[in-house]
Amino acid sequence: MSDRTAYLFLLPALVLYLAFVALPIAQVVGYSFFDWDNGIIGDYVGLSNFARLGGDNVFWAALGHNAIWVVLTLAFPLTAGLILSAILAERNRHVIRWLSAIYFIPRTIPLVVAGIIWGWIYNPIFGLLNYLLESVGLGGWGGAWLAQPDTALLSLNVVGAWTFFGFCVVIYLAAIQSIDPSLYEAAEIDGAGWGRKFRDITVPMLRNSTLFLGLYAAIEAMRFFDLVWVTTQGGPGYATEVLTTHVYKTFFLVGDFGYAATLSVVLLAIVLAISSISFFVLRAK
Amino acid sequence: MKVILAIAAGLTAASAATAETVVTQWDQFAQSGISAAGPAMDELIATCQPSLGGATVLRTIAPSIGIRDSYRLAVSAGKTPDLAYTWPAASVLAGYARVGALAPLDDYYAQYGWDHINDFYRGRNSHDGHLYALPMEQDLMGVYYNKALFAEHGLAVPTTYDEFKAAAERFKEAGIIPVSFGNRDRWPATNTFSLILGLTAGLEAEKAVLFGDEPWTNPAFKQAAENFQAWANDGYFPRGFNGVGYDEANALFLSGKAAMTITGTWVLQDMIRGADSIDLGVFMLPPMADGVPAGTMWGEGSQWQLAASADPAVRDAAAAYLDCLTSDESRKVWVEKGHTVPIGTTPDELAAWGADPVVQKFFAAGLGTPDSNFYDLHTTLPESVTQVLYPELQRLVGGDATADEFLAAMQVAWETAIANGERWLP
Repeated sequence: MSDRTAYLFLLPALVLYLAFVALPIAQVVGYSFFDWDNGIIGDYVGLSNFARLGGDNVFWAALGHNAIWVVLTLAFPLTAGLILSAILAERNRHVIRWLSAIYFIPRTIPLVVAGIIWGWIYNPIFGLLNYLLESVGLGGWGGAWLAQPDTALLSLNVVGAWTFFGFCVVIYLAAIQSIDPSLYEAAEIDGAGWGRKFRDITVPMLRNSTLFLGLYAAIEAMRFFDLVWVTTQGGPGYATEVLTTHVYKTFFLVGDFGYAATLSVVLLAIVLAISSISFFVLRAK
Repeated sequence: MKVILAIAAGLTAASAATAETVVTQWDQFAQSGISAAGPAMDELIATCQPSLGGATVLRTIAPSIGIRDSYRLAVSAGKTPDLAYTWPAASVLAGYARVGALAPLDDYYAQYGWDHINDFYRGRNSHDGHLYALPMEQDLMGVYYNKALFAEHGLAVPTTYDEFKAAAERFKEAGIIPVSFGNRDRWPATNTFSLILGLTAGLEAEKAVLFGDEPWTNPAFKQAAENFQAWANDGYFPRGFNGVGYDEANALFLSGKAAMTITGTWVLQDMIRGADSIDLGVFMLPPMADGVPAGTMWGEGSQWQLAASADPAVRDAAAAYLDCLTSDESRKVWVEKGHTVPIGTTPDELAAWGADPVVQKFFAAGLGTPDSNFYDLHTTLPESVTQVLYPELQRLVGGDATADEFLAAMQVAWETAIANGERWLP
């Protein structure tokens, strides 16, 4: 096949990419240099929309919440997924198949639905969580989980972890099953217990999977919107505000398309930076 | 006389519109929930078809919560529907008028004699001296209460703020939630605070801030913020109210677990329909400070507006159609089939048309204080300020901000909006 023919085959995909990815991105970048009033474009304002970022406390709060979300996601679902998959890998095939499917179910639930389900679980008046706590004599621990600034973001992250850890289990499980069994046999002959094998064989051999999941989680943590919107809309106050909700409010509710585009460009830059790191790190392995 | 003029106008429209003329209409009249006036709209489209002079209506129903977003996108894309029934008036409407998206209606007001729209509502539907919308639904704010619970605890309807607080304390002691309130959706607190603000500071103090140079950080506004926060601190609201939805709060009240809920006439039909297990009553919250007259927050549920981009023949046909939709005969249909009370409807008409006693009571009380009724912040402030009001009220009522901090944040947002030319003036 000649180069020319190859490029012809690439052309349809390239046209679609330019039309539906590159052009809209360029459009958003362009919007950020203009003043907007109720969705109507106004004067060219250069970088003044970007200059507003410094004094926008909601932007910085949202960015901080995204960062916390990244850290929490790396800390809990990945750790839980790693340990569970290591335990699961030693069971028979049927158990592995059934349990990995069960663990994966939350991942198949749209975040909007997950938000509604957990909204009911966390409901301060008739929520399941408070009911369970009361039924075991721990009613004093009950609370308005999504309505208190000190618990709202963490409670939402639990939902995020619930939807993500099954994915981690499946990825880790596949990776563990590809580890050479002779490594474990040799370790057993040397008297290594489960913990030692896990620490010195499983974890190091899963480095690439951990890297992939970590970067994937970081990108997702910057992009998520639906879970917050259906549960708290960024509240109480600004306690669960994230970049995407700030963009949505600025665009749809305030009608300040220029600043919403600016926020989107910043979000895009962060996601592209993480993606680039992930691309180069994974290719280097 | 008005009927003759309307017929003449209809004939005029008929001469301009043709069978090919289509009036695109967006409205929010669903079959249930907020603005559940779908049956009335269905009937009135058929009734008012002749007034279109041969044109036809192409209708799209959008949810009341989402219609603002959809409308904004339509305006920005240059696809503004010819005729739309959206909310709110005042600042948001003025914003669209400012950018030239809406057609002025002054001539239609004069042509059809829409005198039932009083100066307050004309102001809220104006920008720069011109009228840009025809408001329709009459919204009032009041207290829905459980008559049986009041009777059971030997309480009469409060006529003073002290009596209201005493009733709330009595219910709290009895283990009953005094006021069902849910603010997860963020906007309910703006209505509640608007009511408290008007009854604490009064209409004139509101005007001094909203249309004058008085800052938000004035003593009367501070007192209102402290009153609202005190209700939360004193346990008037259910646990975790910032995590309770508006509908859930209403359901809590209708289930008999709360003695009162403070909201507007926009849920009257749902309240009446859902009040199977309680004896529903309404009263107006009494003034909360000395020297402040009785009154309530009022506004239009939504307003009809015409696109500036619409063809003149379409605009004429739509205006004739609007005149029909808001005629005396149609107002009766809105009340009877839509459980909605159009602006200009009197308590006597509601009685004559057989409106539910709760509806009659609500409107008789709310319309009895026209000179001291006050503004709804939610629909009066520019959107950029509203988006600060929502979270700051959550913080205030949740105890995460003091009254001073709340008002300082509002003042900053307010000054920014004024500097950007976003303030609406009637």
